[in-house]
Amino acid sequence: MSSTVASSSPSSAKKGGRPSTSPSPWRKKKQKPEVEFPGLRSLNGKWGYLFIAPFVVMFLIFGMFPVIYSTIIAFYNYDPLAGAGGLSLEGQPFVGLDNFVNLLQDDRLYTAIGNTFDIWFWSTFPQMIISIALAAVLRNRFLRAKTFWRTILLVPNITSVLAVAIIFGQLFGREFGMINIVLGWFGVDNIDFVEDSFASHIAIATMITWRWAGYNALIFLASMLAIPDELYESASLDGATTWQQFRYVTLPGLRNTITFVLIVGTIGGLQVFAEPLVLAGTTDGGSTHQLLTLTMFLYDQAFGGAGKWGYGAAIGIVITFIVLIVSLVNFLVTRKLAGGDEK
Amino acid sequence: MNIKKLAASIAMVGLALGAGVSSAPAATAATPVTLTIWTFGDVIEPNLVRQYKLIHPEVTLQLKKGDIDPQQNNMITACNSRSGPADVIAVEVSYSGWWRSYPNCFTDLRTMKTSSANANATKGVDKNGNPVDVTYVDSVGVRQPVGTVPSGQSATTIKSNYLPWRWEHGVAYNDSVIGIPTDVGGLEVAYRSDLMVKAGLVTAAQVKNGTARDVLAKKWPTWDKFIATGKTYMSKLSAADKKAGRGFLDSVGTIYAAILNQGTEKYYRNNGTDQGELIYKTNPAIKKAWDMTLKAQDAGIGTRIGQFSSDWNVGMNKGTFATMLAPAWMMDYIKQQAPDTAGKWDIADLPGGGGNQGGTQLTIPSYSDDKQAAWDFIAWYLAPEQQLQVFRTYGLFPSTKVIYNDPSVKDFKDPFFNKAPVGKIYSEGILKLKPIFEGKLNRGIDQAFGAGLGRVISGKKNDKTKKPWTSKDSWAMVMSEVEKLVR
Repeated sequence: MSSTVASSSPSSAKKGGRPSTSPSPWRKKKQKPEVEFPGLRSLNGKWGYLFIAPFVVMFLIFGMFPVIYSTIIAFYNYDPLAGAGGLSLEGQPFVGLDNFVNLLQDDRLYTAIGNTFDIWFWSTFPQMIISIALAAVLRNRFLRAKTFWRTILLVPNITSVLAVAIIFGQLFGREFGMINIVLGWFGVDNIDFVEDSFASHIAIATMITWRWAGYNALIFLASMLAIPDELYESASLDGATTWQQFRYVTLPGLRNTITFVLIVGTIGGLQVFAEPLVLAGTTDGGSTHQLLTLTMFLYDQAFGGAGKWGYGAAIGIVITFIVLIVSLVNFLVTRKLAGGDEK
Repeated sequence: MNIKKLAASIAMVGLALGAGVSSAPAATAATPVTLTIWTFGDVIEPNLVRQYKLIHPEVTLQLKKGDIDPQQNNMITACNSRSGPADVIAVEVSYSGWWRSYPNCFTDLRTMKTSSANANATKGVDKNGNPVDVTYVDSVGVRQPVGTVPSGQSATTIKSNYLPWRWEHGVAYNDSVIGIPTDVGGLEVAYRSDLMVKAGLVTAAQVKNGTARDVLAKKWPTWDKFIATGKTYMSKLSAADKKAGRGFLDSVGTIYAAILNQGTEKYYRNNGTDQGELIYKTNPAIKKAWDMTLKAQDAGIGTRIGQFSSDWNVGMNKGTFATMLAPAWMMDYIKQQAPDTAGKWDIADLPGGGGNQGGTQLTIPSYSDDKQAAWDFIAWYLAPEQQLQVFRTYGLFPSTKVIYNDPSVKDFKDPFFNKAPVGKIYSEGILKLKPIFEGKLNRGIDQAFGAGLGRVISGKKNDKTKKPWTSKDSWAMVMSEVEKLVR
């Protein structure tokens, strides 16, 4: 350390006479570091690696390695308790593509894909409308206690998923659930929000909407606030009503944000797990798999007592491909929208 | 500081992290000893833990409570890496079939011998080091000493204390003993005597002199007769009662497991291999239990309430259902959930003769660091005297058959259950059962059949036929689901 100080002091002594009102360092271009480490000069550029090492090491252990290992065991009839144990594949029967062949013939896969997209649809689009409506209300310049309302919108989002699922599970109870009691006032028969396929998807979509509508409203609000006031002023000078202002000024301004929320929603939608697990009460998603989502299917096969780890890994790979396809669609849609903006 | 040193120290941190993940904590010292116990529910009772602390101040019992299914995954992970911070693990009966295929994950308890640690277990030492007598107060207020365990006891020598069919749950396919049974569920019918009187099935005088439970048991010696009795009960209900969803039995789905457990075979046949032979397609007992359950459903004797739901707890108080199939541990549950119904409940024999639901074994994993201390603890905890204490203080039914003739079991009458001789009723039912073989994927197959019955019972629509699920269609789906499971 002493050598470092020694080498840096002469250089600062040289600059000593200069007034300290030099321009801010970040305005300088390509300035050499003032403190140098002689003997370590060749390593200077490598310090960065050290700083990102904690993440990279953790990612390699907990992110990359499981991906590679599960890809390998997807080709085995893997049983962690048989063979040599540990990570060794010794004694594990290699089955080639059997897991994938079986999986593509497994009707549960298609049920799970259908359920996942159904839940995604019913949780994304109504939520979008609610979020934009909430944001429009919050944008109102005469609204009082703005921070309070904005904060309160985030409360559902910081609630534990499990707590949400348990509370909503009680609200959706068939015999004494509050929603059925209220529906009963209007002469609607008790709806079975767990066993009935469509109703159960609506129940899950409601939980997701409740949790995320406020969060997305804040994103929409930020985007709305970025729309210049002049546009509204000129619109009202032209005689536009509030609705017309919303339709022709606000909504076009939100286009990119809508795309963003859609993409984030798609990623979340493909990962829906805790809500259907708690509502169904079993890992298989109910008696006709009406609540089985893709991630639940993976969990059920690998960790739900079935002991089919290789099969579960194969499901994981299929999910990866589904995500890839969805991302591609997202990418194409986004590019088209962005291109539309330029015109 | 130079970069090499820095890199080295980071590598050290990395190594330490890696080691923390893979290696077991060092608890190999002879004294003091920490025994880590993976358990769930009330398998390990706190009173006995306190007593063991008095006998063995040097032993720390560390209870890690979880749920059955997540714990199963933890056990798989631990056995896969041949390491895990556990010395004693509680395995539920529904997973005992799974673990009998993997005896290498456990210590063969035939090879263990108790030390002299508990030979004089009635004497202990308190916190200040003063000698104390280790005793407890039983349900009638009498102070009882705890039991002692002589040295040199192995699984082979204590086997004769236990119910043979319960003992089998802890035996692996290669005959090694991997678990010792704790309690036994048993299964009888809990019923509301006030509702039975109202329906005219028994008279108030019979309830008062305690003969009502025999009268009812004679009405339902078989499941057919049980359903017929249920129909009679339903015919006595008013239209308003029916509209309010009242029924004879809380949940008809429970009949399935009750009947299946009365047989000798379920989904597997023991052929001495680690996998067992699958017989779920051909075993007539399964179809019989299935059909009987749906017969009860068609007879309309059940309510639409699911067990252990909040609706169920409410129904227990309100008398929404007149009967439920109750393991011994359920009595305590009823007392807690419906304290105001004291004296109204009673216990009668199960149709078809005896039944069981639930139970647990204590095992020592092969990767335990302190097998000797663990075996000393298990042998003490599951000794007949301690099981008797658990029955006296918690109402869990012991699987040590040698104490069924003890007056505090045989003559035990529960005031909450209209002074029913529950000790006698349950022990007689339990002794009628034969060993039943639990195969590897027993729990998963059970869930598939349960879901199959659920589809029909809930009146759910079949998406293909647009009509409610029929027994035949649902059975076909169960077959295809189980085929995928065992593939």
